[in-house]
Amino acid sequence: MKTLTRQDLAALAKQQASSPAEWIRVQLDTGGIAAGADSVRTALEHARVEQKRPFSLLRVGSVGYSFADPVIEVQSAGLPRILYGRMTPELVPALLSEQFDGGRLLEDHTIATRKRSLTIDAPVTHILVRDTSSDIGNKTAFFQSSFQEELKRRGLEHVQVVRALDMGIYDEGAVVQLLPSPVTYTNVLAPDVARIVAESVEANRVIDDLIWKAPDKQTRIVLRHSGQVDPDSVDDYLQRADGYQAFAKSLFELSPEGVLAEMKSSALRGRGGAGFPTWMKWKLTRDQPAEQRYIICNADEGDPGAFMDRSVLESDPHAVLEGMMIAAYSMGASQGYFYIRAEYPRAIERVQRAIDQNRELGLLGRDILGSGFDFDAKIRLGAGAFVCGEETALIASIEGKRGTPSPRPPYPSVRGLWGLPTAINNVETLAIVPAILLKGGEWYAGHGTDTSKGTKVFAVTGKVRNAQLVEVPMGTTLREIVYEVCGGVLDGKEVKAVQTGGPSGGVIPEKLLNTHISYESLQELGSIMGSGGMLVMDQGDSMLDVARFYLRFCVDESCGKCAPCRIGGYQLMQILDRISRGRGKADDLPLIDRICHAMQKASLCGLGQTAPNPVISTIRYFGEEYQAYIEGGPSYARKIKRAAVDAATAAPSTAPVSS
Amino acid sequence: MGVSLSTELFMKTNPTVVGLEKISLKNADESAWIETLEQMEQENGFIPRDVADEIARLLEVKLERLKRIQGKIDSTTHQEIKHHVDHWRNEEGNLIMILHAIQNQHGYVPREVAMELSRELGVKLARIYEVITFYHYFKLQPPGEHEVTVCNGTACYLKGANRLIDEIRVQLGISEGQTTPDRQVHFDTVRCIGCCGMAPTMVIDGKTCGHMKSSDIAEHLAKITAKKETAA
Repeated sequence: MKTLTRQDLAALAKQQASSPAEWIRVQLDTGGIAAGADSVRTALEHARVEQKRPFSLLRVGSVGYSFADPVIEVQSAGLPRILYGRMTPELVPALLSEQFDGGRLLEDHTIATRKRSLTIDAPVTHILVRDTSSDIGNKTAFFQSSFQEELKRRGLEHVQVVRALDMGIYDEGAVVQLLPSPVTYTNVLAPDVARIVAESVEANRVIDDLIWKAPDKQTRIVLRHSGQVDPDSVDDYLQRADGYQAFAKSLFELSPEGVLAEMKSSALRGRGGAGFPTWMKWKLTRDQPAEQRYIICNADEGDPGAFMDRSVLESDPHAVLEGMMIAAYSMGASQGYFYIRAEYPRAIERVQRAIDQNRELGLLGRDILGSGFDFDAKIRLGAGAFVCGEETALIASIEGKRGTPSPRPPYPSVRGLWGLPTAINNVETLAIVPAILLKGGEWYAGHGTDTSKGTKVFAVTGKVRNAQLVEVPMGTTLREIVYEVCGGVLDGKEVKAVQTGGPSGGVIPEKLLNTHISYESLQELGSIMGSGGMLVMDQGDSMLDVARFYLRFCVDESCGKCAPCRIGGYQLMQILDRISRGRGKADDLPLIDRICHAMQKASLCGLGQTAPNPVISTIRYFGEEYQAYIEGGPSYARKIKRAAVDAATAAPSTAPVSS
Repeated sequence: MGVSLSTELFMKTNPTVVGLEKISLKNADESAWIETLEQMEQENGFIPRDVADEIARLLEVKLERLKRIQGKIDSTTHQEIKHHVDHWRNEEGNLIMILHAIQNQHGYVPREVAMELSRELGVKLARIYEVITFYHYFKLQPPGEHEVTVCNGTACYLKGANRLIDEIRVQLGISEGQTTPDRQVHFDTVRCIGCCGMAPTMVIDGKTCGHMKSSDIAEHLAKITAKKETAA
C-alpha cells in the first residue's frame, strides 16, 4: 500500500464515493456472529458464486438492532435499501430469488426504515404491515390479506404486501409503511385499507389523518457509520465516510488551539460517566510542561449489560482512532494506547487492523502527512478487572501492575502514565470528535440540553421488547427510550424501574420515567449517566435482588486496597443477604444507610464511592420491599422465592415471539 | 543395549527365577512390571532379591531418561518465554501482555512457565503472581477439554441465568470455576459477553447460544459428551 499524502486526502474529500449497484451487507459484530451471521455470510457467498450473481457481498458493523441479529441489508435494482433481521442460511436462496429476480421482499424478516417520509415521490411498489398493538391476537395476517384483496380488486397485484418483523413504532395499532417512499400510517383500521389503496397506492396522495409525523427519536452521531462502512477497510472509511478529513483539517487548517476552541464550543462532556468537559481535560494535559504526553482510549467496558463501546469499536474503529489522533495533536501527545477488555477479541482484532493499516498509509508514525506531527498508537489488553475502568487503576494496569487505584490529585492530566501527563477518554467521546471537527462545534452543541450537549448511546437490555443500541439527543425522556424506541416491556407487562449506570448507578422508578436525560438530572435521582447501560425491569423483578446482584458485583471487583470499600461492601452484602432470607432486623435500614455513607465519603476511588448507589436508590424508591422482608420474616421470604420459581416455570418462553 | 545384554546374562546364570525375562527396558511399561511383580509375589510368596535389584536399577535408568526429556521440555519452555519476552522486550509495562500470550498458548499460566518468566524478565516471582492473581482473566489451573460458560451479566441475570447455573451444577456436579474430575468440562460464569439481545446466553466451546432455557441444558451437555465419545 502506498503512503497517503495531503493531496490524496484533499482529492478524496472532493471525490464522490462510488458504490456498487447491488450489494448485500452482512452485519458482523460479536452479537451478530453469536446469532449466526457468519453462516449467513457463507451461504450468501456460496450462492453468489454458484448462481453467478453480480451483487457485492460486504461486511459491516452493527446498526445496533440486537433483537433482530443477525441483520443484513440488501440493495437491489429498483428497490430502496432493505434491512432483514433474524436471517438464517436457509433463507438465502429465497431471498436471492425473491428480491433480485422478482423484486419481492421476504415475509416476516423485513425491518422497516426509521427514516420516514411525509410525501409519496414514487409509485408504491411494496406495503409493509404489522399489528403493533400486542403479540397476542396479532392481526398482521388479517391486514395483509385485506390489502391483498383490495389491491387485487383494483388490479394492482404487482404491489407486494409484506409482513414486517419490526416497524420501529409500538402500541400504535396496525402500522403500514409504503415503499419506496417510506410514508408510514399508524392505527390503521380495517375500513382504512381501501382508502390507503385508493388514495396512496393509486393516486400517490398522503392520507393526513393516518400519517405518522413524529420524527425518529434517534439521532445518530456516534453510530453514524455503524452498519454503513466496512470496519476492516481503511479504504472504505476514506472513500465513503470522509475518513481522516477531520484529522487533516486539524493538522493543516486549525492549530491545536483551534481544535480546543472547536471542542469548547461543542461543549462535549466525557461519555465515560463522570461528564468532565473533554476540551478542558485536553487543555489541562496540554498545559502541563513535559517532554512526552499520552492519550489513552478507555475501552475497558466492564459494566455487565453494556455493549456500546464494543459495538463502536467493532463497527467503526477508524473513527475512534481518528478521534484519538486529533486529541493527540491538540494536546501534543505522541503516543496513544487503546485499553481494551481481553473479553472482546473481535474489537481487539479490528482496532489492531485499523492501526496496522494506518501505519502502512503513513497516517501513524513520524511526520504524518508531512506536517511534522508524530504519533503512534498501541493496544493494551485488560484482564478482567472492573476497577481498571477507573483512570488511575487503568494507568497502573497499562504499566503492567495490579490495577489498584491511587489517590487523586495529582490527576492523570498532571501525573499519569509513567508519571507523565495523560488524557483518558472513553471510546464514545473519541468517536464523536471527528464529527465535531467536520461539522463544527456549534452544530454539535445544537443537540441536547443546556448543560448536557449532544447525543448519548445507550445499550437498552433486560425485560424490554427490543433490546438494542439507542442513540438519542440528551434531554430525551427515559419513557421515550423505553416505550417509543424499544417498544416497551416484553409480554405487555409494566415497567417497574429502569437502572442506568450499571453497578455504579441507581434505579429510577416508573413514576419518574418522564425525566429528561442529562448528567445532572440523573444524579439528582440518585443514579448516574454512566457509560450507557440501561436495564429495564418489570413488575416481577425484586428490587432487593437487583441491589444484591450489583453489590455482589462490586464486592467481587473491589481491589481491596481501601477499607471502606473492602469491608463496607462485604458487610453490606451480609446484611442484604440476611434481609433476603427474612432474617432482617428493625434497625438494619439505618445501619445500611450509615455504611453506605461511610463508603461514599471515604472510599479511594469511584468503585467504592458508587458501589452503594444501587442499594441507596432501591431503598429510596422501593423501601417498602425491604420493609416487607424485614417484617414478614422467613415465611415471607420463602413465599416470594416460591412465587418467583412458579412464575419462571409457568412462562418458560423468554424469547420474543417473531410473528 | 547394555541393559538387555546384562539381563540375558542374568537370565542364563539364574535360570530358577521365574518371570524375570519379562522385565526389561524394552517393554519399560510400569504396569507390566507391576503385573510381573504381583504375579511373582503370588507364586513365591515374596519377591526375590535379584529381581528387586534389577527393577530398581532399571528404574534408575528410566528416571535418568525422563530427566533428560524434562530437560528438553524445559528448554522448549525457555525458548518460548524468550520469544515472548523478546517480542515485548522494548515495551514498558509488558508483563500483562506477556501473560496474555502465555495464557493464549497454554490456556492457563503454568507454574514452571511463570518461574522461567521471572528469570527471563528479572522480575520477582511474587510480583508476577501478584499480577496473575489480581486479574480474573488469568488462570492458574489447566482448563478442561470443553468449556461451558454462562453469562451472568445483568440482562441475563434478570432473564434467569441463575436457573441455568443451578441446572448445570446439578448436571455436572460441580460449581462455577471448577472442572469435572475427568478434566472434560470446565464450568464458569462470566460478567457479560455483550450479547444482551439474546439473553440469557451461554458459551459452549466458543459458540454462543442465546435464549437458553434450563430444560435445554441437558441436551447441550449431552452433545459435548457425545463429541468426546466419537473422538475416542
